[in-house]
Amino acid sequence: MSEQKPYIEVKNLWYSYTDGTLALSDINMEIYNGEFIAFIGQNGSGKTTLSKCLNGLFKPTRGDVIVDGLNSKNTPIVQMVRRVGYVFQNPDHQLFNNNCWDEIAYGPRNIELPEDQVKERVEEAAKVVGLDEAYFGEHPFFLSKGLRQRVAIASILALRPKVIIVDEPTTGQDARQSLEIMDFLKRLNEELGHTIIIITHDMPIVAKYARRVIVMGSGRILADGETRDVFRMADVLAQTYLEPPQITQLAQRCASLGFSPSTLTVEEMLEQFEKIGS
Amino acid sequence: MSNVIIEVKNYSWQYINTSEPALRNINLTIAEGDFIGVIGPNGSGKTTLAYSLDGLIPGQYNGIKQGEVFVFGKEVEQYAKGDLQRSVGVVFSDPEAQFTAMTVEDELVFGMENLGMSIPEIRERLEWVTDLVNLKPLLMKPPYEISGGQKQRVALAAVLAMTPKIMILDEPTSMLDPVSRKRVFEVLEKLKKEHRNTIIVIEHSLENLIPLADRMVLLSNGELILEDETPRFFQNMPLLLEKSVYPPGALLFFYELMVAGYSNHQLPLTLDEAEKKLKDLIKNRTLQGEQQ
Repeated sequence: MSEQKPYIEVKNLWYSYTDGTLALSDINMEIYNGEFIAFIGQNGSGKTTLSKCLNGLFKPTRGDVIVDGLNSKNTPIVQMVRRVGYVFQNPDHQLFNNNCWDEIAYGPRNIELPEDQVKERVEEAAKVVGLDEAYFGEHPFFLSKGLRQRVAIASILALRPKVIIVDEPTTGQDARQSLEIMDFLKRLNEELGHTIIIITHDMPIVAKYARRVIVMGSGRILADGETRDVFRMADVLAQTYLEPPQITQLAQRCASLGFSPSTLTVEEMLEQFEKIGS
Repeated sequence: MSNVIIEVKNYSWQYINTSEPALRNINLTIAEGDFIGVIGPNGSGKTTLAYSLDGLIPGQYNGIKQGEVFVFGKEVEQYAKGDLQRSVGVVFSDPEAQFTAMTVEDELVFGMENLGMSIPEIRERLEWVTDLVNLKPLLMKPPYEISGGQKQRVALAAVLAMTPKIMILDEPTSMLDPVSRKRVFEVLEKLKKEHRNTIIVIEHSLENLIPLADRMVLLSNGELILEDETPRFFQNMPLLLEKSVYPPGALLFFYELMVAGYSNHQLPLTLDEAEKKLKDLIKNRTLQGEQQ
């Protein structure tokens, strides 16, 4: 990975809101093509603000965000959102058109693509998220939350961004819906080569899907590493009141018996049990 | 045998202009002081059940009702308007639906005033819930200006302030981060232990719910398909997994050990229990190994 050039570089990024509230302090990180990353941390830790800096919605107060070689400071937002798409936590904050077709077409039209290309992009994006043509004329508000979220993701996909940030994809969803949406993001990552960043409080979801975890607290990065390694850092997680998944905690409490403190799944735990003491 | 406080008998409900009943032939008995966890996929009828227990259904909704719902021994339809709501408080999953006042403080006081409490009592309870749910910095803010998670805490506090005998919470922590979620369950634990309230919690997040729930109920497609004491409820793992109920990791791990014949039928409900059980299990295994 080190030989590859990062797709996103964040250098000494500071961000303050207009009222002076400091939201991000000295953020440094690199994001490479094809990664699956989770941003975790308490509400107000800066996860969403950082995401909005990555897609150019917020410009750094100090420091730089460089995406695909373009510095967000002097790149028009239409150029940024073609590279980094951000799907809102609540799809209803994002959906505002009267039917699903116009909703998905909004982005491509906004970057002034000709109508035939807009059509192509809408159909492509709808196909990827599995939105049936029958819904094209429907008002998004009459769809289920799961479908509204798909429309929201399709409207971002239509811009064909390399990086897709999804803010709390599983909030308010039941277990089956959560797995469906996560499996879908996994497919975007593995089959279509998108870099995926999820913002979430759901640690079992992080353990199952993310390969890299960035822990945020009080506007700073507290830890950044492979999921397994980060879930071993009990002190760092405790600082921001997070806990690793329950099965990881059980393995950590029983580490003296020979269980690995970076166990992530029930299957891994069972495999170790077979070996220990037999 | 403790007092039956809620009795649902052969109850079905179908909203007007829908093709399927939202609930079908539900039978459920809840005793005073019980802590019940209600789980099931979205759309399985959990919220409809909550509305049916506090009289919102059939009071505020049109539809077809069959069977009966008794609360404190009286059918919900026999209560005068507003009477039932004094004893049954609901925290809605969409907190905005329940806000009416201009400040958080007024929101909390509103319900108590409606119950005709005296001013000193209102003051005392306001202080108690503000402290309990950690709302002090928000009291003077308008409810529409605070975050989703804060709204959920205000909604909870507003119902707590009235300390109804029966409390129904519909996904009370869906918008909260892990710390605030834990705090809400700590409050519920306190209510259960110190006040003996009857508490019904609808939740997707099982890790916090399981240690508190005396009994669990699984709804699917409007039917009650499983109800039992919590430890026994999870013996039905294949059915739960089929219905997309994913229990916390430690519980699932011990279920697998049980199926493989390594562990007995007592499934641990908390991380502490799981740790102790796993240590004992490995110790016994090692001892057996040495004896052979």
